[in-house]
Amino acid sequence: MYTEIYEKLSELFAADIKKKPGSRADECSMYANPAKIPDISTYLYTALHYPLVSMFANDETALCGQYAIYYVFSDEEKGVLVTLITLIEPADEEFLSISRIIPAAALYEREIHDMFGLTPVGHPHAKRLVFHSNWPDGEYPLRKSFDGKQRLAFAKETVAFTKVSGEGVFEIPVGPVHAGIIEPGHFRFSVAGEPIIHLEAQLYYVHKGIEKMSEGQSIERCLYVSERISGDETFANSFAYCRAIEKIANVQIPLRAEYIRVVFAELERLTSHLGDLAGICLDTAYGFAAFQFRMMRGWSYLIADELCGMRFLRGVNKLGGVRKDFTAGRESAVTEQLKRIKRELTDTAEIMKSNSMFIDRVENTGILSQKAASDLHAVGPAARASGVRSDVRKSFPGEAYKRLDFTVPEHNNGDVNCRMNVKIEECFASIDLIFAALESMPSGKVLEPVGSVAPYMSAFGITESPRGENIHWIMTGENNTIFRYKIRTPSFCNWPAVCHAVKGNIVPDFPLINKSFNLSYAGNDL
Amino acid sequence: MFEITRKILQYPRLTQNYPQNPPDSGKFACAPVIDPEKCTRCGECVERCPSRAIVWDKPSGAIGINYDECVFCTLCEDVCPAGAAAMTTRFEMAEKDRCALRQNALVIDEQILPDASYEIISSELTAKIQKIFGRSLQIREVDSGSCNGCDYEINALNNPFNDIERLGIHFVASPRHADMLLVTGTATRNMQLALVKTYNAAPDPKLVVAVGACACSGGIFKDTYATNNGIDCIVPVDVYVPGCPPRPQAILYGILKALDKL
Repeated sequence: MYTEIYEKLSELFAADIKKKPGSRADECSMYANPAKIPDISTYLYTALHYPLVSMFANDETALCGQYAIYYVFSDEEKGVLVTLITLIEPADEEFLSISRIIPAAALYEREIHDMFGLTPVGHPHAKRLVFHSNWPDGEYPLRKSFDGKQRLAFAKETVAFTKVSGEGVFEIPVGPVHAGIIEPGHFRFSVAGEPIIHLEAQLYYVHKGIEKMSEGQSIERCLYVSERISGDETFANSFAYCRAIEKIANVQIPLRAEYIRVVFAELERLTSHLGDLAGICLDTAYGFAAFQFRMMRGWSYLIADELCGMRFLRGVNKLGGVRKDFTAGRESAVTEQLKRIKRELTDTAEIMKSNSMFIDRVENTGILSQKAASDLHAVGPAARASGVRSDVRKSFPGEAYKRLDFTVPEHNNGDVNCRMNVKIEECFASIDLIFAALESMPSGKVLEPVGSVAPYMSAFGITESPRGENIHWIMTGENNTIFRYKIRTPSFCNWPAVCHAVKGNIVPDFPLINKSFNLSYAGNDL
Repeated sequence: MFEITRKILQYPRLTQNYPQNPPDSGKFACAPVIDPEKCTRCGECVERCPSRAIVWDKPSGAIGINYDECVFCTLCEDVCPAGAAAMTTRFEMAEKDRCALRQNALVIDEQILPDASYEIISSELTAKIQKIFGRSLQIREVDSGSCNGCDYEINALNNPFNDIERLGIHFVASPRHADMLLVTGTATRNMQLALVKTYNAAPDPKLVVAVGACACSGGIFKDTYATNNGIDCIVPVDVYVPGCPPRPQAILYGILKALDKL
């Protein structure tokens, strides 16, 4: 697989690419000429239809004297991540932007600029992304020369919002502190009466510097950091982290551990979707259905307590498998609880869909077109509701998912109704997956401990979190530490999609549309 | 309509009457405890704790956990060779005084404190609060940089199982209507101003409850360029609720403690 893709690219770009030694069956990495990056990217994106799934920089000045920028494309059919690596001289401090060709690259390039000080030349909207007006110019935290513990004095830079002018157009600023019990973020609406003309979101209010903080820390400690990136994606994030380290350590985790991980991943998906459905109903003032879903989510937490004593599934994943044999002896208790949830979900979904006022609110509201979803590389239920077919559990399954039979829901209208239906169908699919996993789980041990990892090796860990495709990249350092940890959660890709989905809708529908995506601010901001 | 009525009759009551009745806490994994009798003082847990919350005073041999910094990750239980460290089911951990959560004394670096003066709640104000808030309490929740786990648990206080409104407590949309601020997260650099403005917008008398390890001490995100080591570096705090995240009942315990109802 690796050689096929490399050979195809060599035919066209022989002089400009060079294979990187030590690649894996599902990862094909090559160095590329920085001047030719737009051409090679265009080929991968338009001719081979590989979406850009991640893009990040790494300060490799101590290793090879240069900064490296990684462009990660995905061949979902073959299950291979194709990475182009360009090396930038520290004195240059700039690189060619590919945002005009691949819209999904736009935010990654702004992030690279804020964290490394490398300017994307030709970027259509090069505005500060991570830092607000309080951050002084010229300070780049992810450079190795920046001391991650220093707290710089507050500055007063200007960060402007896009202005929409016209008769009767006014701005509504919302946040960062929102009216409900929710994370902070700032939204600047440009409205003419009720319909929204433009929405610009300013996030990164909960930016904690997780990536910088992980550098130099032990691989053991960073597992607990990965669990705390986003509370309700705890398991998916720690799963991605473990997958990456297990690849680097070349450890084959026991099959029983893979099945147990499926049980927990699907439980997390079920809990998250039930919460989203409750939120959608609450924002249409449909109290009965909202509290039905909250009741079911409470029952789902009881399953979490039964299995591991932690409602958010923390302390479950361990490098090399899972911490304990959590499911042994508890299969019948879990199955009973799930059957109860399934019956109740069937009833509630039927009652909800027969309510014409509710359907009137959710149908044709917040439409995300298929073109916007695919251009921005929207992921997860939001993308699947807009006709973009992709699920990591099918394209990068791992040992357990490839042995389990399940369907991924598909809808095409891209409105709140479709996103809601995708989530309901995924709930049923998750319940059935847990039944199947508990039944066909092989016996055996659950942990193959990971000893030490070689320094300066790298790997990707990719999982399907409840919100979508979740990719972590790790480069190890000396003495079993982390040299670079790049986290890309699904929320990072989907926030720009929200800004497109609201156009033309009325302002009171904004909370409903936002809830139908239900993205994590913490997962985006890190 | 008939279907809805049928459902309401099917589940007439889900609410667990906490704090009057203790919950079935047998399966909870909450406060870790180190048994000083069994502990061999090998130092394994002290070195490997992800948030450096375990403290061992070598001269006296005293060993314990600072619960304001603990992130309840279970690693100490896993690595202890003598089985001295174990997760217990104790979730009622909230304290008014941060030092009550700690094994060793809290040292606050002069440089961490902002220039504004540190407000201290006096005992007269405490009595007044009980008189004013005795009947009902309005809470404004502020996320100042959490991972959203604590926010989800606070949200769970409004579900049918916990139903915080039966105690006269309810969440409001504006800090101007609030009696209490429930703050999660480490007070990140970008949220600092918003937190201070929200605190100032809430009229006196007011209470502040720090929910979760991040708000108590910075949790696992201590000492980075973008965080503060706990919200008490920015606003005065009345009650600290440890946990990562704390269970809804533990948060409720903390809120009621702030009102002196416990």
